[in-house]
Amino acid sequence: MPRSRTQTKKAQIMSLEEAAKTFMHDGAMVAWSGFTGFNRNPFAFAWQTVRQGVKNLHVIDRHGSCCTWLLNAAGAIKVYETDWMGWGEMAGKLDINLEKRYKKGEMILEDYSHGAMAMRFLAGAIGAPFIPYNAPLGSDLYNPKYDALGRAGMRGKDPRIPKKKFIQMEEPFWGEGDTVLLPSARPELAIIHVAQCGDKGTARWRGVGTIDKEISFAADKVVILAEEVVPESEMRKLPEGNQIPYFVVDAIVECPWGAFPSSVPFYYDYDAPFMRDMDKASRNPDDMKKFMDEWVFGPKNWEEFIVKLGAKRLLDLKADSVTGYSTRMMRGKKPAPRMKMPLSVAMSGY
Amino acid sequence: MAKSMEQMMELIEKMPEEAAKPGEFILPELMAIQIAHQVRNDDIVFAGTGLPMVGIMTANFINAPNALLIYESGICDGKTMHVPMSVCDQRAANMSSTLGGLVDTFGYYLQNGYVSLGFLGGAAIDKYGGVNVTSIGDYYSPGHRFTGSGGNSDIGTMAHRVAYIILQEKRRFLDRNEYTTTPGWWCWDFKKNEWKPKKEVWKGTAYANSGPVAVVTNMGNYGFDEKGEIYLKSFHPGVTVEQIKENCGFALNVSRVEGETKKPTYKELFVLREFVDPELIFLPQKVEYPAQIQKLING
Repeated sequence: MPRSRTQTKKAQIMSLEEAAKTFMHDGAMVAWSGFTGFNRNPFAFAWQTVRQGVKNLHVIDRHGSCCTWLLNAAGAIKVYETDWMGWGEMAGKLDINLEKRYKKGEMILEDYSHGAMAMRFLAGAIGAPFIPYNAPLGSDLYNPKYDALGRAGMRGKDPRIPKKKFIQMEEPFWGEGDTVLLPSARPELAIIHVAQCGDKGTARWRGVGTIDKEISFAADKVVILAEEVVPESEMRKLPEGNQIPYFVVDAIVECPWGAFPSSVPFYYDYDAPFMRDMDKASRNPDDMKKFMDEWVFGPKNWEEFIVKLGAKRLLDLKADSVTGYSTRMMRGKKPAPRMKMPLSVAMSGY
Repeated sequence: MAKSMEQMMELIEKMPEEAAKPGEFILPELMAIQIAHQVRNDDIVFAGTGLPMVGIMTANFINAPNALLIYESGICDGKTMHVPMSVCDQRAANMSSTLGGLVDTFGYYLQNGYVSLGFLGGAAIDKYGGVNVTSIGDYYSPGHRFTGSGGNSDIGTMAHRVAYIILQEKRRFLDRNEYTTTPGWWCWDFKKNEWKPKKEVWKGTAYANSGPVAVVTNMGNYGFDEKGEIYLKSFHPGVTVEQIKENCGFALNVSRVEGETKKPTYKELFVLREFVDPELIFLPQKVEYPAQIQKLING
């Protein structure tokens, strides 16, 4: 959001509990890092949010994840403005609690597409009010009848919700047909899980970036959860490896294994069997309650949650330092073969 | 004793390129290999999770080793050793050229016109290749609600050639979708409230001539004619044209059927089973090789 800042941010190092208490509240508009249920989901923060009983969240994002699965399980989401509402191992399927709550009319879904949400966050990140995108003309995504927030009477009231879902217009500079203007995304809070964070706030991940840099700049407040908090000077030895500069960061939380059951490349892999168990639990109210009591409300803190998983599980998930993932975990029905080189590389000759 | 990967790689060349017999392969294998056949060696491919990903990996290992694979989370030219479960899996990022994010893949690569082939799934398809991955019934109170677009609508309209993999049922092959997530060769012009060719709605943009060229189902392969209408190209082994027509919600054009779908070869099956998905993540089971192939493998 283009806004002149009168006060410079200074990132505070705090505990998971403190960070969730300070930044999360009923009705907050939030974006979560990573991609689908598999990569860098700030699950520990969603977990703490649910434990604090936060409700009526407006999640603005480009994916469903383990975080939204848990928030939906607790009925914490009121508005879900996104483009892909699957979540994890069951790619292609909605999470059960989301489907139930939506069909009961307990939440609003606003549909966009991956590209459109990426562009909306990019606009938010660079302080632009809107962005043109060749969002599919002729798609019902841009059918004027389908504007869920408009239908709910929520547009033009909240300063974070744009007056319109989109505007289709003739491209005015080059004469290249019609284009669609998309409003920037302006969340209140971005929760970003990274590999390393300097104690001043400079943050780094490895692997894909999804739209986490854009989300961090589009949001007013940024909470970084990191596998490791290291001296800021260490982060400056390879600055091109960093993605988030410290001046946008409000809080730093050191939270090892905080993205479980999703992965943090070069730290640990995703836990597909655990995700399958989550899905199974959500299919029956009694199992769901048991899951929540056992895994969400049972452990005293996040550390206890991880201890409860057991050393064997953590060893299997530990990523190797060359590929960034684990070949010891059982993802399908057979163990992973020991590979030396991708076959396509062997065949294409480099 | 189990063979090393190097020994298995040497075996690829020894595998016969003759078609396997019925019963020696299963339907998901046939479908994955049909996807692979769509990929050209010079393609830049943008594919979705699931069978499309397995198919393009198979292509990358057989007929199109130079095809560049883009995965939407930000991966450019991933050279995969282990099949990824998702488009953001670190396995897909292995040995990639660059890693970025969604602005890279949807903006720099896709909207900027670099992507030559998109391979996607869908819940339902209309006769002009328009796809629904959003909802069945009334949009605001749907009978069934799917995940929504994800990258489907972006890739399906801006990749130059687009191919879909869809489960064939009467309720999924429709004259008109209840909700069009990704427009095919005909779509709505919402400004004028008219149903018309994509070429007119998208006139002036760089993508007016981009759109669906192929559909692979569990029953057959499809193409699109000059008017943008889908037609049956081949039927899978064990399936009749009559059965396909019964599983289609509109009058299907079967005048261009070329015959039975080419069965996968032993070499293709070997690569798919031993290199693409040996962990059995997307393939439901490991099928036994016939005696002569097993003998080759045992050495």
